[in-house]
Amino acid sequence: MAQQSTAYVPSGRMTGARKRAIREAMTGYLFITPATVLLTVFGLFPLFYAFYISLHRWRIKKGPFLGIKNYTKALGEPVDVLWFVAGVAMLFLAWFIWRNMVKEQRPWAMAFKFLTVIIVLVGGWAAIAGFGKMVKSGDKQMFEAFVITVFYAVGVVPAQLGGALLLAVMLYQNIKGKDWYRMVYFMPYVTITVASAGVFRAIFSRRPESIANQIFGFLGIPSQKWLQEPHGIWDLIFGHFGVNLKEVFVSMGLDPFLIFILLGPSLALISIMLYNLWVFVGYDTVIFLAGLGSIPSDLYEAAEIDGANRWQLFRHITLPLLSPTIYFLTVITVMGVFKAINHVLVMREAAARGTVDTASLYIFDQFYLSTRFGYASAIAMVLFVVILTLTFVQNRIAQRRVFYG
Amino acid sequence: MASTASTMKPESGIQPAEKHPISFWDRYNIGRILLYLALTFGAVVAITPFVYMILGSLLTRGEMMNRKLFPKDPVAGLQNYVQAWNEANFNEYFINSVLITSITIAGMLFVCVLAAYAFARVKFPGRDAIFGIFLATMMIPETILLIPNFLIVNRLHKLMEPIGLPWLNNWPSLTIPFMASVFGIFLMRQFFTTIPDELWDAARIDGAGHVRFLVQVVLPLSKAVLFTVVIFQFIGSWNALVWPLVVTSKPDWRPIAVGLYSFISEAGPELQLMLAGAVITTAPVLILYFFTQKQFTEGIATTGLKG
Repeated sequence: MAQQSTAYVPSGRMTGARKRAIREAMTGYLFITPATVLLTVFGLFPLFYAFYISLHRWRIKKGPFLGIKNYTKALGEPVDVLWFVAGVAMLFLAWFIWRNMVKEQRPWAMAFKFLTVIIVLVGGWAAIAGFGKMVKSGDKQMFEAFVITVFYAVGVVPAQLGGALLLAVMLYQNIKGKDWYRMVYFMPYVTITVASAGVFRAIFSRRPESIANQIFGFLGIPSQKWLQEPHGIWDLIFGHFGVNLKEVFVSMGLDPFLIFILLGPSLALISIMLYNLWVFVGYDTVIFLAGLGSIPSDLYEAAEIDGANRWQLFRHITLPLLSPTIYFLTVITVMGVFKAINHVLVMREAAARGTVDTASLYIFDQFYLSTRFGYASAIAMVLFVVILTLTFVQNRIAQRRVFYG
Repeated sequence: MASTASTMKPESGIQPAEKHPISFWDRYNIGRILLYLALTFGAVVAITPFVYMILGSLLTRGEMMNRKLFPKDPVAGLQNYVQAWNEANFNEYFINSVLITSITIAGMLFVCVLAAYAFARVKFPGRDAIFGIFLATMMIPETILLIPNFLIVNRLHKLMEPIGLPWLNNWPSLTIPFMASVFGIFLMRQFFTTIPDELWDAARIDGAGHVRFLVQVVLPLSKAVLFTVVIFQFIGSWNALVWPLVVTSKPDWRPIAVGLYSFISEAGPELQLMLAGAVITTAPVLILYFFTQKQFTEGIATTGLKG
């Protein structure tokens, strides 16, 4: 692009070229101006503004400056937060030492191994103890919202990606009517969220003749309350066999928050997770299919000549070459879980007693229903830090596991 | 870069696997039958809620009360649609959604095409750094932007109301913040960089500048990627619930998702009416999808290839 621009300049080469470069730059800045202005006003500045709001008492109108009070209200005593952060940092440090010293077989590997174990023990203790105290002095409901989000992510991500990968690999076997299958799988994704979530509200209704109860009844599972069931899944399963898990935990003297975690996601949340799977498995399948299509087929042929069986082909060719797609989908799925709000808003029933309120929904409630702008912003900033940390961890894992061919 | 560039072309998105090793499945027919069974099972799971939605929306009130699954007289059941349409005031919401979606898409195309073109083909200092900042803003979840953006829109509302452009309960707050779609810019930029430099050289020699080159050469070549971006924006706008809920307080400019949401949650309608409402709101998107489904799925498939 640079050489040809001088070709038809008769005289004053330098100034002509410079003029052209300046004009080119002006064009560039002009072209990106609308996007930059909009993005600054609605995408970047709000991040700092949110932090500013979070430092104030702000109920519709700005109130007095509070400093970190909103944060201590949410997260608990600063000392406990420090313990927790220090503990997590130590765990990272231990991982770092392990990777660089022990695994590399450096001298003193044994000593470093020992050191790692100590750091893990101390760091783990600090993190857990600090977190326990944070929950006691902070906003219990907020911590529950984060636990619910984690339940949601842990339940949804592997099932969604696994199911989609399975469907994609099956669809890739020279299937007749492949386009038809793909079209049907993709339909849930293009449906309006409010509409499909409304339909699922009816499907997962507590009425004994609802679709969910009929299907699961067919499998021998008694009628459930689904979206109106606040009890945890383990609680329900053990309860079915006559064991009151909650009472067992209480008699063991466990912390109520720990009991909340141990009882598992509520059936209401699991219903929402099933809806989530229904919507996104097809989308992931389409993306996986594209990823499969980009794997060169001669790799398979070569491996087959070497006598590889189907599983080996999948394990050593398909999976590594698909790892960028898997990584991409993992990231957007985790992000999606942390953003999950629309369908939860529609499917939330009062009877579920807050057991489906994900972090995003809790922030929305604090903002929209309780009009606590400052406090909601503080939790939003916490959510942001959590997401950044998660993305960082995912990135580190990806660096070592993802193979960019 | 070269490999990602070539995969961005929509034609190469998904190809039939003719050369793929299929010997195992070909030899053992039972395996193939199982394969089809499994795939069909997946399709049934995907489609059942739609069937339920349509069947349920055609039930009469009495049939719904008696827990029937199939409507006896589907034509009479169409009455539900009329009733849902009137009760939920879909007339207004529907027009609102069409307007909001059209304005957003038009503005988004203008803003994003220009930016994507500049990032792909115009040389200016700081280009890559600015593009990096653009991409980084994708990392900020909407939940965090919700409250400050609400306050910003409030401020703009107060500023612009005197000049006759109120933001709240009006189209600007529902459309303008979504016009700078980083995702759209990213996709388009990826495609624009694959357009050969020779075309630009030829255009230059013919005396064309950037604007003419963009309009007469680049855009006609980019129909597929533009379509993908428009589809994403369409789904996003038609789907939006939380933001419109926050910036509108009366039905004047509320989109259809909010209309259906209030119909479901506030009115607490009978189930068959709710299902009819769900069919009404979903139908436009599904119809669009059926007519364009090949470009649709392949356009979306290309977005995943850049890991």
